[in-house]
This record gives sequence, C-alpha cells and structure tokens, in this order.
Amino acid sequence: MHFEVKIPPVGESITEVTISSWKKNNGDFVEQDEIICEVDSDKTSFEIPAEKAGKLNILKQEDETVEVGTIVCTIDTESTNNTPSSQSENKNEDHEESDSPDEVHKTGEIIEIVVPEVGESITEVTIAEWTKENGSFVEKDEIICEIDSDKATFELPSDATGILQIIAQSGDTVKVGDVVCKIEVGSSTSKPKESQSSSSKTAPETKRSNESYVKGHPSPAANKILNEKGISPSEVKGSGVDGRITKEDALKASKSQKEEKKGVSEETGDNNRSSRREKITNLRKTISKRLVSVKNETAMLTTFNEVNMKPIMDVRKKYKDQFKEKYEVGLGFMSFFTKACCIALKEWPAVNAYLDENEIEYHDYCDISIAVSTPKGLVVPVIRNAEKLSFQGIESEIIRLAGKARDGKLTIPEMTGGTFTITNGGVFGSMMSTPIINPPQSAILGMHNIVQRPFAENGEVVIRPIMFVALSYDHRIIDGRESVSFLVRVKQLLEDPMRLLLNV
Amino acid sequence: MSTYNVVIIGSGPGGYVAAIRCAQLGLKTAIIEKYDTLGGTCLNVGCIPSKALLDSSEHFHKAEKEFGEHGIQTGKLTVDLNQMIKRKDDVVDQTCKGVAFLMKKNKIDVYYGIGSFKDKETISIHGKEGKKEEIKAEKVIIATGSKPVIIPGIEYDKKRVITSTEALKLKEIPNHLIIIGGGVIGLELGSVYARLGSKITVVEFADRLISGMDSTLSKELQKVLKKLGFDFHFKTKVNSAKTKGNKVILTASNSKGENISLEGDYCLIAVGRKAYTEGLGLENVGIETDDRGKINIDENLQTKVPGIYAIGDVVKGAMLAHKAEEEGIFVAETIAGQKPHINYNLIPGVVYTWPEVASVGYTEEQLKEKSVNYKVGSFPIRALGRARASMDIDGLIKVLADKKTDEILGVHMIGPRVADLIAEAVVAMEYRASAEDVARMSHAHPTYTEAMKEACLAATENRALHL
Ligand SMILES: Cc1cc2nc3c(=O)[nH]c(=O)nc-3n(C[C@H](O)[C@H](O)[C@H](O)COP(=O)(O)OP(=O)(O)OC[C@H]3O[C@@H](n4cnc5c(N)ncnc54)[C@H](O)[C@@H]3O)c2cc1C
Repeated sequence: MHFEVKIPPVGESITEVTISSWKKNNGDFVEQDEIICEVDSDKTSFEIPAEKAGKLNILKQEDETVEVGTIVCTIDTESTNNTPSSQSENKNEDHEESDSPDEVHKTGEIIEIVVPEVGESITEVTIAEWTKENGSFVEKDEIICEIDSDKATFELPSDATGILQIIAQSGDTVKVGDVVCKIEVGSSTSKPKESQSSSSKTAPETKRSNESYVKGHPSPAANKILNEKGISPSEVKGSGVDGRITKEDALKASKSQKEEKKGVSEETGDNNRSSRREKITNLRKTISKRLVSVKNETAMLTTFNEVNMKPIMDVRKKYKDQFKEKYEVGLGFMSFFTKACCIALKEWPAVNAYLDENEIEYHDYCDISIAVSTPKGLVVPVIRNAEKLSFQGIESEIIRLAGKARDGKLTIPEMTGGTFTITNGGVFGSMMSTPIINPPQSAILGMHNIVQRPFAENGEVVIRPIMFVALSYDHRIIDGRESVSFLVRVKQLLEDPMRLLLNV
Repeated sequence: MSTYNVVIIGSGPGGYVAAIRCAQLGLKTAIIEKYDTLGGTCLNVGCIPSKALLDSSEHFHKAEKEFGEHGIQTGKLTVDLNQMIKRKDDVVDQTCKGVAFLMKKNKIDVYYGIGSFKDKETISIHGKEGKKEEIKAEKVIIATGSKPVIIPGIEYDKKRVITSTEALKLKEIPNHLIIIGGGVIGLELGSVYARLGSKITVVEFADRLISGMDSTLSKELQKVLKKLGFDFHFKTKVNSAKTKGNKVILTASNSKGENISLEGDYCLIAVGRKAYTEGLGLENVGIETDDRGKINIDENLQTKVPGIYAIGDVVKGAMLAHKAEEEGIFVAETIAGQKPHINYNLIPGVVYTWPEVASVGYTEEQLKEKSVNYKVGSFPIRALGRARASMDIDGLIKVLADKKTDEILGVHMIGPRVADLIAEAVVAMEYRASAEDVARMSHAHPTYTEAMKEACLAATENRALHL
C-alpha cells in the first residue's frame, strides 16, 4: 500500500512552504515517526515525520515550493525492511499481562484487515481506539478496534485468529479500504518455548533490550513545557537521540483525553490561563462542514408561532398512567408533535420534499428525523413511516433510537433518508431558536421549552403553558404561504388534539 | 501608596534577575536595596571584585614567575596595590551601574532603603536620613542574601581580623595572612595575596580543602597551592584570634589535642556565610527561619505565607550567584503561572584559584555512599598540547559514569579555565549524555576542552588517545 505524505497545515495564513531538505534518500526504508523531510515556511521551519514505516518514494524535490496539502512523497508500507518490524514502535508497557505472543503457533500466513465499507458517502474514518494491544493474541471475530466515521462509531472485528500487528494508530484518519492492522495467523498453544525461536523477531523484546536509559528524558525546556501542560514525560514519545524528549516534542504533546478532565478540575480557581488543542473528530468535522454549507447554499429562513400546550398537557395528565401501563413507554410530547407534523406534511408536500438541482422530489411518506444529542455531538436517527405509526409506535421507536444514539450504536442506514426533522431545544431550556435544515431536507421544526405565560383567551388574560415553535425552511422550494400555513396547521392540531384523532 | 504585582527585597543576583524576569513577563515590579548600589554581595563585595583582584594578581604572578621562560625580561616588578584596588573598584562600579541601567530599561522601580514587612502586602522602606515610605505588593520575593559568619572567640575588628569584605580593600600586602577556613572564599583571597608575596597559612577544621567537592580536587588543589607558598593545618579548631598592635595572634587545637599558636599580621575569617534577615520584619508576617537562620520554603520556593517567596543565599542550597539567579527566574515564572524547574544537582560549583576548580553532579564520595556502580575516566591537563603551549600544566579532568549505562554522573575539573569548561559538562548532563556521547563529539584542537573529551574516552573504555 502506498501511504501519501502531505504538507500539513502549519498555521493560519501559511499556504505554501519550501522543501529545504530531505533527510532520507529516495528508496530508503523509513521507520514510523522518523523525520524524513525539513520544510521552511515564511514563519518557521519544521520537520515532517514518516507517518508509516516503509519505503520512501520522493515526489517533490528540495527547494521546490509546494502548497499545504500537497503530497510530497509516498511510503510503500508493503515493502519489507530487515530491521525489526516497525510496529515495535508503539510499545506496550504492560504487554506481559496480555496473551503472550510467544505461545502462539504460527502458520506464517498474514492477513490484512482493512477499513470496511460503512455506508455510502463515507470515504474516511478515524481510528478511535484499539481495544486490543499491539502484539496481543486475538480470536477471530473478537472486537479489536473502534472506529469513528462522520456518522457513527462502529467496531472492527478480527478476521482471523492470531497475533495483532497494529499499523494505523489511534487518532489516525484512514480511508475506507486502507489496511489498519495485520493478523499473523496462528493458534494459541500451551507449549511455549519451541515457537519462541520463530518469534524471535517479535518486536517488543528486541526493542526493549535496546531501549536506552535516557528514553523519555525531557530536555530542560521540554521539561518546563510538559510541566505547564500537565503532561508526564512518560506520555510523550521522544524524537531526540535515543528517545530523548525534545522541546519540539513537548510543544506538540497533548494530554490523553482521560487525563484532561482531571486536569481541568484541578486547575480551576488557580487563575489558570492555559489552553488546550484537540484534534476534532470526524463527526464534528462533518457537522461543521455541513452546517456552513447549508447556510451558504440554501435560502434558509425561519417562521415562528406559539402553541398553547394546556390541551395536550391535560390529555397527558389524564392518560399518562394508563398509557404507560399498557404500552410500557411514557406518553411524551414528541408523539403529538410527530403526528401533527405528519398530518401537516401531507397537506403541504413541499415541506416534505428535497430539491435536487432541477427537480423536486416529493415524498408520499413521512420519515421523521429526530435530533438527539450525544456526548460526541448531535445525531439524527429516523422514524420510518411515522405517518402510519400510532402514538405508542412513535414513542417506543424514539426510545429505541435515542438509546442507540447515546451508546454510539446507531447504524448508518438508521440515520439516513429522513424527509423532515424535529429538534427539541427545549430540553436544554431554549425559549426560541432558528434551527438549521438537515440537508437534503427542506425544513425543520424547532420545539422549545414550555413556559407559563399570560395569554389572552376569550378576551381575558389567563396563565397558560406556552411553547414557541419555529420552522426553518428552504425558501427556494417552500413559499412563505406554505411554510406559515404548515406551522399554523401544526399549532392548530396541537392545541386541539382531538383533531389528530379525526384528522381534521 | 504605589502598588506592585511583585516587590523584591534585595538586589543581589537573585533579586535583580528575578526583577528583570518579572518585568519581562509583564508584571509591575519594584526592587528595594538597602545599600546605595545595586548588585548585592556578588557585585559589590563578592564574585566580581574578587575575580578582578584574582586576575590582577595572576598577571603579576605570571610576569614574575613565567615571563622569563617565555623570553620576556621584565626587570624588577613592583605591585601598586592601590591601583589594583582602584581598578577593582572601577570594575565594580561599572557592573553595578549596569544593573541600574537594566532596572531602568525594564521599567523596574528601584527604592533605596531597608525594606521590612509591615504586613503581608505592605512593605515599609526606611531610607537614608529618616526617609520612610510604604508600598503595596501582591507578591513579595525575599532576596536578602547572606553575611559572613563570625565564630566565637574571634575578635572581628575589620582592621587586622577581617572578613572577605575588608580583604578586598587592604591598604598593604600582608606579610603573613592567616586564613580561618579552607573553603572557596578563603582560598581565592589567599591566592590573591600569595601571588603578591604574602605567606599564607590556612587553618581548617576538616581534613581537606574545599571539603564539599570531590576529594581528588581537594588533593590537587592542595598541591598547587603548596607550590604557591600556602601552609595548611587540617583538623584544627581555632579557639581565638585577636589583634595585638601590628600583629594578630591566633590559638587553635589540633587533632592530637595539642594547642598551637600562630602569629601573623592579618587574619581572614572565611568560615562560611549565614542567611541575612535582620530588619526584614519577618515576625510581622509569621515567617520563621531554621536553626541556621535560613528562611524555610516549599518546593515552589514559597514561604509558609502564600505569596511571599524567598531565593538565593537566604534559603537552603549552595550559596552561589548562579543558583540565586536560577531561583529568581524560577519564582518570577511561577508567579506568572508558568511551571519552571531547577535541577539542583546540576548547579556547578566553581573555585577561581589558578588553576581553577569546577565540578558538577555527584562526587565519588556521594556515589559510593549511594552504592552506585560507577567507572572513572581521568585525564591530566599536562598531556594537552594547549597546556604545554601556555605553561598551564597543572590539573586534571575526572569523569564519573554509570558502569552499566555509561551515563555521566559527575564531572570534576581542576585546570586552566575550567570554570568555563564546566558548562559543557552541565549541558551534557542536562541531556543525560553518556561518556561515549561526549567522546564522540568533535572538540577543537588545541584547546583545554580536549581534556573533557579525553576523560570521557577514558571513562568509556579506557581509551584516551593522548596518554
Ligand atoms: C568574596 C566572595 C566571593 C564570591 N564569589 C562567588 C563566585 O565567584 N561565584 C558565585 O557563584 N558566587 C560567589 N559568591 C557568592 C555570591 O556572592 C552569593 O551567592 C550571591 O551574592 C547570593 O545572591 P543573593 O541575591 O541571594 O544575595 P546577595 O548578593 O547577598 O544580595 C542581597 C542584597 O539584599 C540586600 N538586603 C538585605 N536585607 C535587605 C533589606 N531588609 N532591605 C533591602 N535590602 C536588603 C543586601 O544589601 C544585598 O545587596 C561570593 C561571595 C563572596 C563573599
């Protein structure tokens, strides 16, 4: 496999850099993280490490000026080297306690595990975490890795039984089809010593004995920087001679996530002025890209209305317990809103349509996307054919999807294909908002908190539980009349729930 | 009343460096000094003037003893001690003015007078002629330094029974200078007058000179000082010293229990220095000192009162100007929210005799005590081409390295300009270099630094090249 090495973004306003020198020759075998190239920008010079081990193929020559993102070389990861395998680089301090590779009966066969197809439109994913350690023994179908895509997190099982050799590291972004690890096929046996000789090239051991006493020793400046970041030198990989931690290593080091939370709470109150940089997840990257493009590419605007929630609350109060007893799910507001929207969508089909360049795709069904917030960001699972579902059907579907969302277990199909979205900012206390359309849909309903407000009813001021509702819509295919009428219709249905039953 | 982010009491190398670093970090800073000139002990009566006299006297000594061999005929040489002292005063004056300039450049307010705590945030300054003012401080750094120790029985009269301060401005060259204490200050000032012709007798309680340093250095230094005309009484305890007319009489008892009596015309007390906190009003903020008068501090150099720090000679650790400076920087950065670090084991110790003595890291004695397996690589200065060319052939460099890992654990030097050479050892050790690492680095030829490379080669596999 050819791994491409690109000029990384080095700072705002730097768009191009000059290759000052190649530290390695074309065709050399390079280790992972070995410095291969030095690059000058108009602000600083920096070094480019090999992201993979393999044979170097230089594409851009010294003194060439290239743009950020340009591929300057490729690394042939298939190419073998005669030094111990490159995977040894990611050492495991406690690999003894895991199944020892020494007791494995190897067949010599090596299987590569690639990033599987996870859904249309997903081309790259991020390795979230290896659940198995490098060099450990894994069973076929055992989960070895967790992967984040921009839509969901999924688990990667091993295709074979044998010893795991990790290639892509946690945090790496890899393409669908890329090799993330290899399995040296073999079965676990209990007669240990014989096979040891064949595994004498097993990396961790040779590496360990070569390890210098100085590995992980920070230079004075690096030490100060690490102290300030609250990172222990043992968490940093030193790139200096014999693994010393250089100032640059310390500047680049960031805390592991678990540590971070601790750090923050410890620091508060002490006038802490430190800041942190974290790589954003694919999910967040996609969310941000999408939101900006929706803002730029649609003619989005929002119409508002208010809903007197008393009638629904009365219904709920009256039937809540019976409903729960019978269906084993609570009777929430969401089912009312979903039902009301389905009826209104039928009446105003443009609100339930997609704009696809020169055509409008109308839907005769209502697949309602429900926005659910999870620790990793907002996800929108879909209730299929919501128009056909009963109140109970909607409530249990929401519970099922929200549960999966929180556990990060939603599949891509469960999140694609909605025709209209409902989002409830009220759960966080929002009084009013202008939600953003979830493309390729054309409209989104925003629910908000319910507040007791003075309300005129039959010429008298009374106190009523009021919710403001908002409908953001793409004005390119939905006219004002349609959007406003749609929202008025939703209001009407909600304020007189009998209508939901009779469909009037 | 003026208010500052940081107020520093004492303008020695600890205090003034802390002030500059505070200012660099954007803190509004003031410094208080009780004397008329800035720079503390180090600049006024310590490092700088002693080095000025050491250099002058060494020139004289070389002219007298070595120029002939170089083929330079001088005729009869004489010493103009007044001029020597005046030149020293000029050097001090320029250096102190340099500090005043740095204060101005960094917009640090300087107050002259005795600073003392009124409360945790208020410092009152008693200036000359009863002038009194008060300033407010969010943080205070105490850098009040040290004063010479005077032991009981000794009648310090500043005329013939003197300390280093007076020894830096004598009006005449002593015939016989008796020095109590075989430490750094005594041997440096003793060297000055020995070169100018004084007979020197050192009375030392321990069994060797510069007793904190590696014993190889003590031995070598004793040899070269003996050549200069020093006499030594070790394991000898001074009981009294006092002036009698133009003489000083000193009595002491040696290890055999015998009483001895020495007669000289001057007696220099150089038995160490003690932390100085007089007039500071520590009692008003509840800060205590230990049994040796040092201010107690935590690992951030903070006293038990939050926001009040102490650095330099007034706290524990080596009484050295560069140690005080590192601490000044440490506290300034700590106040600014940074997290600096000082590696106390790698603060070099230096003696400016000729040859110079310098050392960093563990001594052989310490490694033995810690039962560390170590190896020794040693290289004599006389084997260097550079040394023969300059006629500075005394001394050696000794490198101690871990037997297993080859990591350098200590470097001990005696030889020409080793006070400068020791920096290489500090750099190597900060990076935890092995002896072979240094041995594999190119050292210019011919230089004194080649001795470092050769000693490292010797430590690596006993493969020094020029031996
Ligand atoms: C003869 C001699 C030679 C030396 N040679 C060397 C050398 O070669 N190399 C080396 O590293 N070290 C040398 N030293 C040691 C060095 O001088 C000290 O380690 C260093 O000066 C300590 O710095 P400091 O800032 O802690 O205190 P100091 O330099 O002692 O400064 C303290 C200052 O605080 C002032 N002060 C005290 N109390 C108050 C108060 N209440 N209000 C206002 N001001 C106050 C004092 O007047 C003084 O100016 C030598 C010392 C002597 C005596």
